[in-house]
Amino acid sequence: MQRMVRICYRKIIDSAATKPWEKLVWQDSYTEFNMQAQRYNNAGAIAGFSDMLHSNPQAAQLHFLVSSAVTGYIQQLHQVIPDIQNTLGKQFLPLDNFRFELIQSNTGQPSKHVVAINFFSPPILWIDTIGNTLLLSANQYNEAGEMLTHLLQLQPFVSICSIQQQ
Amino acid sequence: MERKSFLKNGFSALGLVTVAPLISSCKKEDAGSSSASGSSSGSTNGTAGGTCTEAPTETEGPFPTKVPSAYVRSNIADDRTGVPIAINISIVNKNNSCAAISGAIVDIWHCDKDGYYSEYGGTGMQSANFTAVHFLRGRQVTDSNGLVSFTSIFPGWYQGRATHIHVHIYNASGTSLKVTQIAFPEGSNSAVVQVNTTASGYGKGMSGYTYNASDNIFSDDTAGIEIGTIAGSVSAGFTLTHTIVVSA
Repeated sequence: MQRMVRICYRKIIDSAATKPWEKLVWQDSYTEFNMQAQRYNNAGAIAGFSDMLHSNPQAAQLHFLVSSAVTGYIQQLHQVIPDIQNTLGKQFLPLDNFRFELIQSNTGQPSKHVVAINFFSPPILWIDTIGNTLLLSANQYNEAGEMLTHLLQLQPFVSICSIQQQ
Repeated sequence: MERKSFLKNGFSALGLVTVAPLISSCKKEDAGSSSASGSSSGSTNGTAGGTCTEAPTETEGPFPTKVPSAYVRSNIADDRTGVPIAINISIVNKNNSCAAISGAIVDIWHCDKDGYYSEYGGTGMQSANFTAVHFLRGRQVTDSNGLVSFTSIFPGWYQGRATHIHVHIYNASGTSLKVTQIAFPEGSNSAVVQVNTTASGYGKGMSGYTYNASDNIFSDDTAGIEIGTIAGSVSAGFTLTHTIVVSA
């Protein structure tokens, strides 16, 4: 039986971000949050995202509305899930889907702006589990017809988020 | 050799436009880094003597450039099909003798021909079709005449609402000035009727349609201030012109 799994990675970005990509995502998503949140802040009376949700469940739309600030940066990843490396230290997970998420934010306090980007791989083959690693293949073959594989170490914020058994 | 064929095969087998390691190493050279990409040279087995070495990172990448919000564009149709409509909105200032406001930020959004908005679904995953995920949403900045122009498709309608376009106007620094909606003129030969009864793809007709007078947003607009002006035809497309007065 073959098991096809989607690997997902939840990347959290907060005000302490130092790398350029993360900083841009953080800054631009905060700017967009400040603009869009004005639809849910009761004319300035509410500053916190969680308070907006409490006051008006429609504020959950902000996850989506703010994501417009981030899609351009997702494109700059060239369809590879960032950060997550195989045991050789190379990024290898193809990027299929993503979902942007506001964890918390506050229109008056930038330091409280924390977001997550959930990255999803396409279904890839989970061949075996070796120690603390998953043996995976994205259905790539070399010229000799050998299936090319990667070992992925289990780690925080990385998970299998769906499975198909065939 | 093996590494090369690996990468080659990675490209073709995956059918991806790009694969990270190759792209990243190219970028590294482009960026003028003088240090060779030692991390990919293969000498990574440095675990002798009971110490361990952190796995080297292939690159520092990505090397991002600043991009505007995906909303910033004039053509907002993306993958949505329908009767073309040009949307021209002028923003004027009530506090300045109704003079045009330049530099105001104008967001618009509306539903597609079937009545659906772009938004997150309930599945927990969002398609990474970056070019279409925010369909029928756009942002422009007013010119010296206070005008913004968008290209889109004529909105359809859904249960309980008259045809409408949402508008959110901000000043140049992003402070909200007004959230409003544009209504459409009605009548036996109105654009709304023409589109919904004759245009290809708009299959709903007018049965069950909520007219402006019954719409819970527009019904109090007895003076018709929120109703835009429409010209055009189903075959040639329509043009919507509307002026919105704000206090800035």
